Amino acid sequence: MKILKRVLGVVLALFVAAMFLFPLLWVVLASFKTKLELLAVPPVFIFQPTLQNYINAFNSDFPMQVRNSLIIAISSTVISIILGSLTAYGFSRYAIKGSDFLQFWILSLRMLPAIAVVVPFYLVFRMLGLLDTHIALILVYCLFNISFAVWVLKGFFDEIPLELEEAAMLDGYSPPQVFLRVALPLARSGLATTAVFCLIQSLNEFLLAVSLTTRVAETAPVGLSKVQTLMGVDWGLLSAASVLFMLPIVIFTIIVRNELVRGMSFGRMK
Amino acid sequence: MAQEAMVSKRDGPATAMEAAAGFRGVWWRRLLFVPTFGLLLLLAIVPLIFSLGISLFNYSIGSKPVWVGLGNYLNMFTDPQFWLATRVTVQFTIAAVSIEVVLGILFGFVMNQRFTGMGIIRLIVFLPMMLAPLVVGLFWRFMFDQTFGIVDYLLTQIGLPAIPWLIDPFWARVAVVVVDVWQWTPFVTLLVLAGLGTVPTDLLEAATLDRASNWMKFRQIYWPYLRFPLLLALLFRSIDTLKMFDSPFILTGGGPGNYTSTLSILGYRHQIMFFNVGMAAAISWVVVIIINIVTNILVKLITPAKVGQVHTGL
Repeated sequence: MKILKRVLGVVLALFVAAMFLFPLLWVVLASFKTKLELLAVPPVFIFQPTLQNYINAFNSDFPMQVRNSLIIAISSTVISIILGSLTAYGFSRYAIKGSDFLQFWILSLRMLPAIAVVVPFYLVFRMLGLLDTHIALILVYCLFNISFAVWVLKGFFDEIPLELEEAAMLDGYSPPQVFLRVALPLARSGLATTAVFCLIQSLNEFLLAVSLTTRVAETAPVGLSKVQTLMGVDWGLLSAASVLFMLPIVIFTIIVRNELVRGMSFGRMK
Repeated sequence: MAQEAMVSKRDGPATAMEAAAGFRGVWWRRLLFVPTFGLLLLLAIVPLIFSLGISLFNYSIGSKPVWVGLGNYLNMFTDPQFWLATRVTVQFTIAAVSIEVVLGILFGFVMNQRFTGMGIIRLIVFLPMMLAPLVVGLFWRFMFDQTFGIVDYLLTQIGLPAIPWLIDPFWARVAVVVVDVWQWTPFVTLLVLAGLGTVPTDLLEAATLDRASNWMKFRQIYWPYLRFPLLLALLFRSIDTLKMFDSPFILTGGGPGNYTSTLSILGYRHQIMFFNVGMAAAISWVVVIIINIVTNILVKLITPAKVGQVHTGL
C-alpha cells in the first residue's frame, strides 16, 4: 500500500512535469522542421531535423533585436542594482521617517500597469526625440526594476548581522566604506539574484517596448510579435527565434533556482 | 517630495552606526535615498500627473489638444467597447486566478514529495513563469491552430471534438485562460511549496499517528502555513491578470469581435492605432484605479509584521 502510494506520487509528479514540458518541447521540435513538416496534418513527431530555421533567424532582424534587448536590459539592470542597493541598504540600516510608507509607495510602483505610463511616456519621448531609442526603454524599465531591487535587496541586507558592520565602524571605517567593503560583498549572492531577475523581467517586457520602439531600438519580443504579419506566419523562423530567445532565460532560471521564491515574491518569502 | 527634510527631521540616531556618522553621515544618507527617489518621482509621478491632464483633453497626435473636461470619461463610460473590455478583463482574472490557485495547491503537494529527480521536475515546472509572456502566447498560438495545431490533434485522438480555439468568441477566451494557467500555475505552486516547507515535521508525524483524515490534516496542519503564501499568490496574480496584455495580444489580437480585448489592449488601441491619446489616458486611469485598490489590499496584507510567518522554504 505504501509502495503503491509512492509510485502514484511519482507518476503524478511526472505527469505534471510533462504538462509543463510538452509545449516547450513542441516549439523546440518545430524549430527543426521544414515548412511542409510544420504545417503537416496530422502533426509529425519523427522527421529529419533541419537547421534552416536557425540559419534564417540569424539572417533576419532577430540578432539586431536581441542586441537591442540585451543593451536595454543590461543597462537598466546596472542602474537599478546601483540605486536599488543604496536605497535598500538605507531602508535596512537607518530609521527614516515614513519608512513604511515610502517602501509601500515603491512597491506600488512595481504594480503600476504599464498601460498607465505608456501614454505619457510616448508623448514625452516623442517631444524629446527619444522614441525608438535605447535610452527611452532603459529609463522606463528602471521604474519597474528599481522598485523590485529595493524590495528584494532589503531582505538580503536585513540578513547581514549588524555586529559585522559595527566592528568595521570601530576599525575606523566610515559609513560609505562599511557599505562598500562590508555590506555589499556580503550581499553579493543577493545582488546577483536580483540582477538576474531584473534582466529576465526587462528581456520579457512587451507592452512598453512595442509602444516606444518602432524599428531601430526594437526588442526581441517586439520583433517576434511582428514576424507574423509579413506574408502569413513563418512558424519555423518564429520557433527557432523563440528557442534562441528562451535559451538564456532557461540558463538564468537554473542559476537562480534556489532563490526563485524570493525573487517571485518580492522578498516577502524565502 | 520632502526626502531631505525627512532625513534631517529624524528623531535622533537609531543605531550606533548613525551616532558615529556626523556631518558626512547626512550626505551619505542623502546619497542612499535622494537619487533613487528623484528618479522614481521623475519616472512615475510626473507621467501619471501628465496622463491625468491629457485625459481631460480631446487630443489626437498631430492635432491641437481641445479641453473636454470629463468628456473622455463620459464617452468611455457610454462606450460598449469599454464595458466589454472591463467584463473580459474581470472574467479573465476570476477564471485564471481561481484555476491557478486550485491547481497550484494540488501541484504544490505533488511537488512536495522527495525522490531522486525531483530537483529537475521542479525546475521544469517553474520554467514557464520565467519565460516572456509574448513568446509563450506565440507558441500556444501555433499549438492552437485550427488546421495543423497539436492541441486539436490530441483532442481528436482521445475522441473529443476539435475546438475552434482563437476563432470562436467563447473558446478564444478559454484559450487565453489556458495559456495564463499554463504559465502562472507554477508561480502559485512555487509559493505553496515554500509554505509547505515551513510546516514542522513533528506536527505531521503526530497527525499520522492520530490517523487524522486528509481533510483534517489539510485544514488543521497545512492551512495555517499556506494562508500567507496563498494570499500573496492570489494578489500578485490578480494584479497581473487585471493588466493582462501580451498573451491575448499575440494569441488573438483582441479578437474575435473584441471578445478577448482586455482594458490594456483597448487602451493600446486608442493610443497606437487611433492616436486618440486623451481616450487612451482615460482608460489607463481606470486600470490604475482598479489595480490600486487591489494593491492596497496586498500592501496591507504583507506588512512586515506578517512576514515573520514565513521563514524557510524550498
